[in-house]
Amino acid sequence: MSQFFNQYFNFDVMREHFGEVLVGFLQNLLVFAVAAVLALALGLFLALLRQLPGRKLMPIRFVTIAYIDFFRAVPILIIILMISGGVPFLSFLPQEVRIPHWFGRPDPFWYGVAALVIVYGAFSAEVYRAGIEAVPRGQMEAARSLGMSHFQAMRHVVVPQGVTKIPAPMLNELISLLKDTTLVSVIALSESVLVSREVLSERLNSSSLTLTAIFFVIIILPLARVVDKLIARQQLKVTRGSHIEVA
Amino acid sequence: MLKLRGVRKRFGSLEVLKGIDLDVGKGEVVCILGPSGSGKSTLLRCINLLEPPEEGEILLESQDICRGPGSGTGEQSWNLDFVRQRVGMVFQQFNLFPHRTVLENVTMAPEKVLGRAKGEAREKGTALLERVGLADKLSQYPERLSGGQQQRVAIARALAMEPRVMLFDEVTSALDPELVKEVLDTMRELASEGMTMLVVTHEIGFAREVGDQVVFMDGGVIVEQGPPAEVLERPREERTKRFLGLVLDR
Repeated sequence: MSQFFNQYFNFDVMREHFGEVLVGFLQNLLVFAVAAVLALALGLFLALLRQLPGRKLMPIRFVTIAYIDFFRAVPILIIILMISGGVPFLSFLPQEVRIPHWFGRPDPFWYGVAALVIVYGAFSAEVYRAGIEAVPRGQMEAARSLGMSHFQAMRHVVVPQGVTKIPAPMLNELISLLKDTTLVSVIALSESVLVSREVLSERLNSSSLTLTAIFFVIIILPLARVVDKLIARQQLKVTRGSHIEVA
Repeated sequence: MLKLRGVRKRFGSLEVLKGIDLDVGKGEVVCILGPSGSGKSTLLRCINLLEPPEEGEILLESQDICRGPGSGTGEQSWNLDFVRQRVGMVFQQFNLFPHRTVLENVTMAPEKVLGRAKGEAREKGTALLERVGLADKLSQYPERLSGGQQQRVAIARALAMEPRVMLFDEVTSALDPELVKEVLDTMRELASEGMTMLVVTHEIGFAREVGDQVVFMDGGVIVEQGPPAEVLERPREERTKRFLGLVLDR
Protein backbone atom coordinates (compact mmCIF):
# COMPACT_ATOMS: atom_id res chain seq x y z
CA MET A 1 0.00 0.00 0.00
CA SER A 2 2.71 2.43 0.97
CA GLN A 3 4.54 1.40 -2.20
CA PHE A 4 1.52 2.35 -4.24
CA PHE A 5 1.20 5.59 -2.35
CA ASN A 6 4.83 6.39 -2.90
CA GLN A 7 4.55 5.60 -6.62
CA TYR A 8 1.66 7.98 -7.26
CA PHE A 9 1.71 10.48 -4.42
CA ASN A 10 5.35 11.20 -3.80
CA PHE A 11 5.19 14.86 -2.86
CA ASP A 12 8.93 15.33 -3.24
CA VAL A 13 8.75 14.30 -6.88
CA MET A 14 5.75 16.57 -7.38
CA ARG A 15 7.50 19.51 -5.79
CA GLU A 16 10.75 19.04 -7.69
CA HIS A 17 9.05 18.75 -11.08
CA PHE A 18 6.20 21.15 -10.44
CA GLY A 19 7.63 23.80 -12.72
CA GLU A 20 8.16 21.52 -15.72
CA VAL A 21 4.74 19.95 -15.48
CA LEU A 22 3.14 23.37 -15.10
CA VAL A 23 4.88 24.63 -18.25
CA GLY A 24 3.64 21.50 -20.01
CA PHE A 25 0.14 22.16 -18.76
CA LEU A 26 0.28 25.71 -20.05
CA GLN A 27 1.06 24.16 -23.43
CA ASN A 28 -2.19 22.15 -23.09
CA LEU A 29 -4.08 25.33 -22.31
CA LEU A 30 -2.56 27.07 -25.30
CA VAL A 31 -3.48 24.22 -27.68
CA PHE A 32 -6.94 24.28 -26.15
CA ALA A 33 -7.40 28.03 -26.55
CA VAL A 34 -6.40 28.09 -30.21
CA ALA A 35 -8.28 24.90 -31.10
CA ALA A 36 -11.42 25.96 -29.22
CA VAL A 37 -11.78 29.27 -31.05
CA LEU A 38 -11.23 27.66 -34.46
CA ALA A 39 -13.42 24.62 -33.71
CA LEU A 40 -16.32 26.84 -32.57
CA ALA A 41 -16.05 28.84 -35.78
CA LEU A 42 -15.77 25.74 -37.99
CA GLY A 43 -18.67 24.12 -36.14
CA LEU A 44 -20.96 27.06 -36.77
CA PHE A 45 -19.95 27.12 -40.41
CA LEU A 46 -20.67 23.39 -40.79
CA ALA A 47 -24.00 23.73 -38.97
CA LEU A 48 -25.03 26.52 -41.34
CA LEU A 49 -24.03 24.48 -44.39
CA ARG A 50 -26.10 21.62 -43.05
CA GLN A 51 -29.15 23.88 -42.76
CA LEU A 52 -29.02 25.22 -46.31
CA PRO A 53 -32.48 25.03 -47.90
CA GLY A 54 -33.75 23.53 -51.09
CA ARG A 55 -33.06 20.65 -53.39
CA LYS A 56 -30.28 22.25 -55.41
CA LEU A 57 -28.04 22.57 -52.38
CA MET A 58 -28.47 18.97 -51.34
CA PRO A 59 -24.93 17.97 -52.41
CA ILE A 60 -23.50 20.54 -50.01
CA ARG A 61 -25.68 19.25 -47.18
CA PHE A 62 -24.69 15.70 -48.03
CA VAL A 63 -20.97 16.42 -48.01
CA THR A 64 -21.30 18.33 -44.75
CA ILE A 65 -23.15 15.48 -43.06
CA ALA A 66 -20.57 13.00 -44.36
CA TYR A 67 -17.77 15.16 -42.93
CA ILE A 68 -19.47 15.46 -39.56
CA ASP A 69 -20.24 11.75 -39.32
CA PHE A 70 -16.79 10.70 -40.43
CA PHE A 71 -14.83 12.84 -38.03
CA ARG A 72 -17.07 12.01 -35.13
CA ALA A 73 -16.38 8.35 -35.78
CA VAL A 74 -12.60 8.29 -36.26
CA PRO A 75 -10.46 8.33 -33.10
CA ILE A 76 -8.69 11.63 -32.66
CA LEU A 77 -5.40 9.88 -32.03
CA ILE A 78 -5.50 8.47 -35.56
CA ILE A 79 -6.22 11.88 -37.02
CA ILE A 80 -3.32 13.39 -35.13
CA LEU A 81 -0.95 10.67 -36.35
CA MET A 82 -2.18 10.93 -39.92
CA ILE A 83 -1.84 14.69 -40.06
CA SER A 84 1.62 14.78 -38.56
CA GLY A 85 2.69 11.84 -40.70
CA GLY A 86 1.03 12.98 -43.91
CA VAL A 87 0.92 16.76 -44.19
CA PRO A 88 4.73 17.22 -44.31
CA PHE A 89 4.76 15.15 -47.51
CA LEU A 90 2.01 17.01 -49.35
CA SER A 91 4.43 18.54 -51.81
CA PHE A 92 1.86 20.87 -53.41
CA LEU A 93 1.61 22.79 -50.14
CA PRO A 94 4.13 25.54 -49.37
CA GLN A 95 6.84 24.70 -46.90
CA GLU A 96 5.39 26.85 -44.10
CA VAL A 97 2.12 24.94 -44.26
CA ARG A 98 3.68 21.50 -44.46
CA ILE A 99 5.91 22.15 -41.47
CA PRO A 100 4.32 25.12 -39.72
CA HIS A 101 6.16 27.10 -37.09
CA TRP A 102 3.69 29.96 -36.84
CA PHE A 103 3.92 32.27 -33.85
CA GLY A 104 7.01 30.48 -32.66
CA ARG A 105 5.12 27.25 -31.97
CA PRO A 106 6.62 23.93 -33.12
CA ASP A 107 4.98 21.91 -35.90
CA PRO A 108 3.47 19.24 -33.55
CA PHE A 109 1.58 22.07 -31.89
CA TRP A 110 -0.10 22.99 -35.18
CA TYR A 111 -0.68 19.41 -36.27
CA GLY A 112 -2.37 18.81 -32.94
CA VAL A 113 -4.44 21.97 -33.23
CA ALA A 114 -5.47 21.01 -36.77
CA ALA A 115 -6.59 17.52 -35.73
CA LEU A 116 -8.55 18.81 -32.74
CA VAL A 117 -10.20 21.54 -34.82
CA ILE A 118 -11.22 19.08 -37.52
CA VAL A 119 -12.77 16.70 -35.01
CA TYR A 120 -14.25 19.18 -32.55
CA GLY A 121 -15.56 21.25 -35.43
CA ALA A 122 -17.68 18.22 -36.29
CA PHE A 123 -18.81 17.73 -32.69
CA SER A 124 -19.64 21.37 -32.10
CA ALA A 125 -21.53 21.48 -35.42
CA GLU A 126 -23.93 18.98 -33.91
CA VAL A 127 -24.36 21.14 -30.82
CA TYR A 128 -25.05 24.23 -32.92
CA ARG A 129 -27.49 22.20 -34.97
CA ALA A 130 -29.41 21.22 -31.84
CA GLY A 131 -29.63 24.89 -30.91
CA ILE A 132 -30.70 25.98 -34.37
CA GLU A 133 -33.32 23.27 -34.62
CA ALA A 134 -34.68 24.21 -31.19
CA VAL A 135 -35.72 27.60 -32.58
CA PRO A 136 -39.38 27.33 -33.59
CA ARG A 137 -39.99 27.05 -37.33
CA GLY A 138 -42.25 30.06 -37.19
CA GLN A 139 -39.22 32.28 -36.58
CA MET A 140 -37.68 31.37 -39.92
CA GLU A 141 -41.05 31.69 -41.64
CA ALA A 142 -41.73 35.10 -40.14
CA ALA A 143 -38.29 36.32 -41.18
CA ARG A 144 -38.71 34.94 -44.69
CA SER A 145 -42.19 36.40 -45.01
CA LEU A 146 -40.64 39.80 -44.27
CA GLY A 147 -38.43 39.41 -47.30
CA MET A 148 -35.25 38.27 -45.60
CA SER A 149 -33.11 35.74 -47.45
CA HIS A 150 -32.38 32.39 -45.83
CA PHE A 151 -28.97 33.69 -44.86
CA GLN A 152 -30.31 36.94 -43.39
CA ALA A 153 -32.94 35.04 -41.44
CA MET A 154 -30.28 32.69 -40.08
CA ARG A 155 -27.97 35.51 -39.17
CA HIS A 156 -30.38 37.95 -37.58
CA VAL A 157 -33.13 35.71 -36.26
CA VAL A 158 -32.38 31.99 -35.95
CA VAL A 159 -28.73 31.74 -34.94
CA PRO A 160 -28.85 34.50 -32.27
CA GLN A 161 -31.67 32.59 -30.60
CA GLY A 162 -30.16 29.16 -31.21
CA VAL A 163 -26.85 29.93 -29.53
CA THR A 164 -28.56 30.99 -26.31
CA LYS A 165 -29.83 27.44 -25.97
CA ILE A 166 -26.50 25.64 -26.17
CA PRO A 167 -23.91 27.00 -23.70
CA ALA A 168 -24.18 23.92 -21.47
CA PRO A 169 -23.65 21.21 -24.10
CA MET A 170 -21.00 23.36 -25.81
CA LEU A 171 -19.11 23.73 -22.55
CA ASN A 172 -19.15 19.94 -22.24
CA GLU A 173 -17.54 19.69 -25.65
CA LEU A 174 -14.92 22.22 -24.61
CA ILE A 175 -14.14 20.21 -21.49
CA SER A 176 -13.54 17.13 -23.65
CA LEU A 177 -11.40 19.21 -25.98
CA LEU A 178 -9.23 20.41 -23.11
CA LYS A 179 -8.65 16.83 -21.97
CA ASP A 180 -7.96 15.62 -25.48
CA THR A 181 -5.11 18.11 -25.87
CA THR A 182 -3.05 15.51 -23.99
CA LEU A 183 -3.29 13.26 -27.05
CA VAL A 184 -0.93 15.58 -28.88
CA SER A 185 1.82 14.15 -26.66
CA VAL A 186 1.92 11.23 -29.09
CA ILE A 187 3.61 13.42 -31.70
CA ALA A 188 6.11 14.79 -29.19
CA LEU A 189 4.56 18.09 -28.22
CA SER A 190 5.95 18.89 -24.77
CA GLU A 191 2.64 19.12 -23.04
CA SER A 192 1.93 17.97 -19.49
CA VAL A 193 1.48 14.25 -20.11
CA LEU A 194 4.64 13.98 -22.18
CA VAL A 195 6.59 15.93 -19.57
CA SER A 196 5.15 13.71 -16.84
CA ARG A 197 6.18 10.58 -18.66
CA GLU A 198 9.68 11.94 -19.06
CA VAL A 199 9.77 12.49 -15.32
CA LEU A 200 8.42 8.96 -14.87
CA SER A 201 11.23 7.40 -16.85
CA GLU A 202 13.81 9.57 -15.16
CA ARG A 203 12.63 9.05 -11.56
CA LEU A 204 10.74 5.77 -12.02
CA ASN A 205 7.90 7.49 -10.22
CA SER A 206 4.39 8.34 -11.47
CA SER A 207 3.60 11.23 -9.18
CA SER A 208 4.12 13.70 -12.01
CA LEU A 209 1.12 12.11 -13.78
CA THR A 210 -0.91 12.58 -10.63
CA LEU A 211 0.15 16.20 -10.58
CA THR A 212 -0.98 16.61 -14.18
CA ALA A 213 -4.32 15.05 -13.30
CA ILE A 214 -4.68 17.52 -10.44
CA PHE A 215 -4.06 20.45 -12.81
CA PHE A 216 -6.84 19.26 -15.09
CA VAL A 217 -9.22 18.71 -12.20
CA ILE A 218 -8.55 22.19 -10.83
CA ILE A 219 -9.43 23.78 -14.16
CA ILE A 220 -12.30 21.53 -15.16
CA LEU A 221 -14.25 21.07 -11.93
CA PRO A 222 -15.40 24.70 -11.78
CA LEU A 223 -16.39 24.48 -15.45
CA ALA A 224 -18.49 21.41 -14.69
CA ARG A 225 -20.27 23.42 -11.98
CA VAL A 226 -20.89 26.18 -14.50
CA VAL A 227 -22.50 23.60 -16.80
CA ASP A 228 -24.82 22.53 -13.97
CA LYS A 229 -25.77 26.15 -13.33
CA LEU A 230 -26.48 26.78 -17.00
CA ILE A 231 -28.65 23.68 -17.26
CA ALA A 232 -30.58 24.66 -14.12
CA ARG A 233 -31.13 28.14 -15.49
CA GLN A 234 -32.28 26.81 -18.85
CA GLN A 235 -34.68 24.47 -17.06
CA LEU A 236 -36.11 27.36 -15.08
CA LYS A 237 -36.59 29.39 -18.23
CA VAL A 238 -38.43 26.55 -19.93
CA THR A 239 -40.80 25.94 -17.02
CA ARG A 240 -41.41 29.59 -16.31
CA GLY A 241 -41.68 30.67 -19.90
CA SER A 242 -43.62 27.67 -21.16
CA HIS A 243 -46.71 29.67 -22.09
CA ILE A 244 -44.51 32.13 -23.93
CA GLU A 245 -42.71 29.37 -25.80
CA VAL A 246 -46.04 28.02 -27.00
CA ALA A 247 -47.59 31.39 -27.76
CA MET B 1 -54.50 42.72 -57.69
CA LEU B 2 -54.34 39.02 -56.95
CA LYS B 3 -55.62 36.24 -59.13
CA LEU B 4 -55.43 32.51 -58.49
CA ARG B 5 -56.11 29.91 -61.16
CA GLY B 6 -56.17 26.18 -60.53
CA VAL B 7 -53.77 26.30 -57.59
CA ARG B 8 -52.84 22.86 -56.32
CA LYS B 9 -50.61 21.86 -53.44
CA ARG B 10 -49.80 18.47 -52.04
CA PHE B 11 -47.77 17.27 -49.08
CA GLY B 12 -46.57 13.81 -50.05
CA SER B 13 -49.65 11.85 -51.01
CA LEU B 14 -52.02 14.29 -49.35
CA GLU B 15 -53.53 16.83 -51.71
CA VAL B 16 -54.28 19.88 -49.59
CA LEU B 17 -55.40 22.28 -52.30
CA LYS B 18 -57.33 20.78 -55.19
CA GLY B 19 -57.51 23.60 -57.67
CA ILE B 20 -58.30 26.99 -56.20
CA ASP B 21 -59.59 29.92 -58.28
CA LEU B 22 -59.88 33.27 -56.60
CA ASP B 23 -59.89 36.94 -57.56
CA VAL B 24 -59.05 39.65 -55.12
CA GLY B 25 -59.45 43.26 -56.19
CA LYS B 26 -57.42 46.18 -54.92
CA GLY B 27 -58.60 47.25 -51.47
CA GLU B 28 -60.80 44.22 -51.10
CA VAL B 29 -61.08 42.23 -47.89
CA VAL B 30 -61.59 38.53 -48.46
CA CYS B 31 -62.44 36.42 -45.45
CA ILE B 32 -61.76 32.71 -45.73
CA LEU B 33 -63.78 30.39 -43.51
CA GLY B 34 -63.77 26.65 -43.17
CA PRO B 35 -63.11 23.73 -40.86
CA SER B 36 -59.55 22.96 -39.82
CA GLY B 37 -57.68 20.95 -42.41
CA SER B 38 -59.65 22.51 -45.23
CA GLY B 39 -56.52 24.11 -46.69
CA LYS B 40 -57.16 27.75 -45.74
CA SER B 41 -53.78 28.31 -44.12
CA THR B 42 -51.98 26.45 -46.89
CA LEU B 43 -53.68 28.74 -49.40
CA LEU B 44 -52.26 31.81 -47.67
CA ARG B 45 -48.84 30.19 -47.44
CA CYS B 46 -48.96 29.47 -51.16
CA ILE B 47 -49.66 33.10 -51.92
CA ASN B 48 -46.44 34.31 -50.31
CA LEU B 49 -44.57 31.20 -51.51
CA LEU B 50 -43.78 29.86 -48.05
CA GLU B 51 -45.31 26.71 -49.56
CA PRO B 52 -44.98 27.12 -53.33
CA PRO B 53 -47.85 25.42 -55.16
CA GLU B 54 -47.09 22.58 -57.56
CA GLU B 55 -49.64 23.57 -60.15
CA GLY B 56 -51.64 26.59 -61.16
CA GLU B 57 -51.03 30.27 -61.49
CA ILE B 58 -50.88 32.99 -58.92
CA LEU B 59 -50.88 36.43 -60.48
CA LEU B 60 -49.84 39.28 -58.27
CA GLU B 61 -50.23 42.65 -59.94
CA SER B 62 -50.53 40.62 -63.17
CA GLN B 63 -47.16 38.93 -62.68
CA ASP B 64 -47.21 35.17 -62.44
CA ILE B 65 -45.23 34.51 -59.29
CA CYS B 66 -45.15 30.74 -59.70
CA ARG B 67 -43.06 30.77 -62.84
CA GLY B 68 -39.35 31.10 -63.15
CA PRO B 69 -36.33 29.04 -62.23
CA GLY B 70 -36.76 27.05 -59.06
CA SER B 71 -40.41 27.90 -58.64
CA GLY B 72 -42.80 25.29 -57.40
CA THR B 73 -40.04 23.22 -55.89
CA GLY B 74 -39.59 25.02 -52.60
CA GLU B 75 -36.41 26.54 -53.92
CA GLN B 76 -35.44 30.13 -54.32
CA SER B 77 -37.49 31.62 -57.07
CA TRP B 78 -36.59 34.81 -58.80
CA ASN B 79 -40.01 36.00 -57.74
CA LEU B 80 -39.44 35.61 -54.02
CA ASP B 81 -38.28 39.17 -53.50
CA PHE B 82 -41.07 40.48 -55.68
CA VAL B 83 -43.63 38.56 -53.65
CA ARG B 84 -42.33 38.97 -50.14
CA GLN B 85 -41.91 42.71 -50.55
CA ARG B 86 -45.50 43.06 -51.70
CA VAL B 87 -47.19 40.54 -49.46
CA GLY B 88 -47.16 40.84 -45.66
CA MET B 89 -48.17 38.01 -43.39
CA VAL B 90 -49.38 37.80 -39.81
CA PHE B 91 -49.32 34.40 -38.09
CA GLN B 92 -51.51 32.69 -35.55
CA GLN B 93 -48.58 32.31 -33.16
CA PHE B 94 -47.32 35.91 -33.71
CA ASN B 95 -43.75 34.69 -34.34
CA LEU B 96 -42.24 37.88 -33.00
CA PHE B 97 -38.46 37.80 -32.61
CA PRO B 98 -38.06 37.28 -28.85
CA HIS B 99 -34.44 38.44 -28.77
CA ARG B 100 -35.27 41.88 -30.13
CA THR B 101 -37.28 44.75 -28.70
CA VAL B 102 -40.68 45.66 -30.06
CA LEU B 103 -39.25 48.49 -32.14
CA GLU B 104 -36.39 46.34 -33.43
CA ASN B 105 -38.91 43.71 -34.47
CA VAL B 106 -40.50 46.32 -36.69
CA THR B 107 -37.33 47.94 -38.02
CA MET B 108 -35.27 44.81 -38.68
CA ALA B 109 -36.62 43.90 -42.10
CA PRO B 110 -36.70 47.46 -43.48
CA GLU B 111 -33.07 47.91 -42.40
CA LYS B 112 -31.75 44.54 -43.54
CA VAL B 113 -33.90 43.93 -46.60
CA LEU B 114 -34.70 47.39 -47.94
CA GLY B 115 -31.47 48.93 -46.70
CA ARG B 116 -33.23 51.78 -44.94
CA ALA B 117 -31.14 54.01 -42.71
CA LYS B 118 -31.47 53.26 -39.03
CA GLY B 119 -32.97 56.62 -38.13
CA GLU B 120 -35.50 56.50 -40.91
CA ALA B 121 -36.54 52.94 -40.05
CA ARG B 122 -36.94 53.82 -36.38
CA GLU B 123 -39.00 56.87 -37.19
CA LYS B 124 -41.32 54.89 -39.39
CA GLY B 125 -41.44 51.96 -36.98
CA THR B 126 -42.38 54.27 -34.15
CA ALA B 127 -45.16 55.77 -36.25
CA LEU B 128 -46.49 52.32 -37.09
CA LEU B 129 -46.43 51.21 -33.49
CA GLU B 130 -48.25 54.38 -32.53
CA ARG B 131 -50.84 53.56 -35.11
CA VAL B 132 -51.49 50.14 -33.53
CA GLY B 133 -51.60 51.78 -30.11
CA LEU B 134 -48.28 50.59 -28.73
CA ALA B 135 -46.23 53.79 -28.62
CA ASP B 136 -45.38 53.13 -24.97
CA LYS B 137 -43.93 49.65 -25.60
CA LEU B 138 -41.13 50.44 -28.06
CA SER B 139 -38.22 49.24 -25.94
CA GLN B 140 -40.02 46.31 -24.32
CA TYR B 141 -39.26 42.72 -25.25
CA PRO B 142 -42.16 40.81 -26.80
CA GLU B 143 -42.53 38.35 -23.91
CA ARG B 144 -43.57 41.23 -21.63
CA LEU B 145 -46.56 41.98 -23.84
CA SER B 146 -49.99 40.41 -23.83
CA GLY B 147 -50.99 38.23 -26.75
CA GLY B 148 -53.11 40.98 -28.24
CA GLN B 149 -50.28 43.48 -28.01
CA GLN B 150 -47.85 40.98 -29.53
CA GLN B 151 -50.19 40.40 -32.43
CA ARG B 152 -50.50 44.13 -33.03
CA VAL B 153 -46.70 44.37 -33.09
CA ALA B 154 -46.72 41.57 -35.66
CA ILE B 155 -49.14 43.58 -37.78
CA ALA B 156 -46.95 46.69 -37.50
CA ARG B 157 -43.92 44.58 -38.38
CA ALA B 158 -45.57 43.35 -41.57
CA LEU B 159 -46.78 46.86 -42.46
CA ALA B 160 -43.25 48.21 -42.12
CA MET B 161 -42.42 46.53 -45.43
CA GLU B 162 -45.18 48.55 -47.11
CA PRO B 163 -47.03 45.53 -48.50
CA ARG B 164 -49.78 45.82 -51.09
CA VAL B 165 -51.53 42.73 -49.75
CA MET B 166 -51.78 41.51 -46.17
CA LEU B 167 -52.38 37.88 -45.24
CA PHE B 168 -53.84 37.09 -41.83
CA ASP B 169 -53.64 33.46 -40.76
CA GLU B 170 -56.07 32.89 -37.87
CA VAL B 171 -54.49 35.80 -36.07
CA THR B 172 -56.95 35.81 -33.18
CA SER B 173 -57.13 32.05 -32.60
CA ALA B 174 -54.31 31.96 -30.05
CA LEU B 175 -55.67 34.93 -28.10
CA ASP B 176 -57.66 35.10 -24.90
CA PRO B 177 -61.22 36.17 -25.74
CA GLU B 178 -60.88 39.60 -24.16
CA LEU B 179 -57.87 40.39 -26.35
CA VAL B 180 -59.48 39.50 -29.66
CA LYS B 181 -61.22 42.82 -30.09
CA GLU B 182 -58.11 44.99 -30.00
CA VAL B 183 -56.57 42.97 -32.82
CA LEU B 184 -59.75 42.95 -34.89
CA ASP B 185 -60.07 46.71 -34.39
CA THR B 186 -56.59 47.17 -35.78
CA MET B 187 -57.49 45.05 -38.79
CA ARG B 188 -60.77 46.90 -39.24
CA GLU B 189 -58.88 50.17 -39.34
CA LEU B 190 -56.45 48.76 -41.86
CA ALA B 191 -59.33 47.62 -44.07
CA SER B 192 -60.94 51.04 -43.90
CA GLU B 193 -57.67 52.57 -45.08
CA GLY B 194 -57.96 50.51 -48.23
CA MET B 195 -55.53 47.68 -47.60
CA THR B 196 -56.06 44.56 -49.65
CA MET B 197 -56.48 41.74 -47.17
CA LEU B 198 -56.93 37.97 -47.13
CA VAL B 199 -58.15 36.90 -43.74
CA VAL B 200 -58.40 33.30 -42.60
CA THR B 201 -60.60 33.49 -39.56
CA HIS B 202 -63.25 31.91 -37.39
CA GLU B 203 -64.64 35.33 -36.48
CA ILE B 204 -67.92 35.25 -38.39
CA GLY B 205 -68.86 38.66 -37.05
CA PHE B 206 -65.71 40.19 -38.44
CA ALA B 207 -66.25 38.51 -41.80
CA ARG B 208 -69.80 39.82 -41.99
CA GLU B 209 -68.88 43.35 -41.04
CA VAL B 210 -65.54 43.91 -42.75
CA GLY B 211 -65.43 41.33 -45.53
CA ASP B 212 -66.19 42.31 -49.12
CA GLN B 213 -66.13 38.65 -50.04
CA VAL B 214 -66.50 35.53 -47.98
CA VAL B 215 -64.95 32.29 -49.16
CA PHE B 216 -65.93 28.99 -47.60
CA MET B 217 -63.39 26.21 -48.05
CA ASP B 218 -63.61 22.52 -47.26
CA GLY B 219 -61.48 19.57 -48.31
CA GLY B 220 -59.08 21.67 -50.36
CA VAL B 221 -61.67 23.33 -52.58
CA ILE B 222 -63.72 26.51 -52.45
CA VAL B 223 -67.23 25.33 -51.71
CA GLU B 224 -68.93 28.68 -51.88
CA GLN B 225 -68.04 32.31 -52.21
CA GLY B 226 -69.74 35.65 -52.47
CA PRO B 227 -70.67 38.74 -50.49
CA PRO B 228 -70.96 38.06 -46.74
CA ALA B 229 -74.67 38.75 -46.73
CA GLU B 230 -75.20 35.91 -49.18
CA VAL B 231 -72.76 33.29 -47.97
CA LEU B 232 -73.34 33.86 -44.30
CA GLU B 233 -77.10 34.54 -44.29
CA ARG B 234 -78.30 32.42 -47.20
CA PRO B 235 -75.73 29.72 -47.89
CA ARG B 236 -76.62 27.49 -50.81
CA GLU B 237 -74.32 24.60 -50.14
CA GLU B 238 -75.13 21.97 -47.54
CA ARG B 239 -71.56 21.91 -46.20
CA THR B 240 -71.56 25.67 -45.66
CA LYS B 241 -74.86 25.50 -43.83
CA ARG B 242 -73.61 22.74 -41.58
CA PHE B 243 -70.38 24.60 -40.79
CA LEU B 244 -72.10 27.91 -40.09
CA GLY B 245 -74.69 26.11 -37.99
CA LEU B 246 -71.94 24.63 -35.85
CA VAL B 247 -70.04 27.90 -35.55
CA LEU B 248 -72.97 30.19 -34.90
CA ASP B 249 -74.60 27.75 -32.53
CA ARG B 250 -71.98 28.13 -29.83
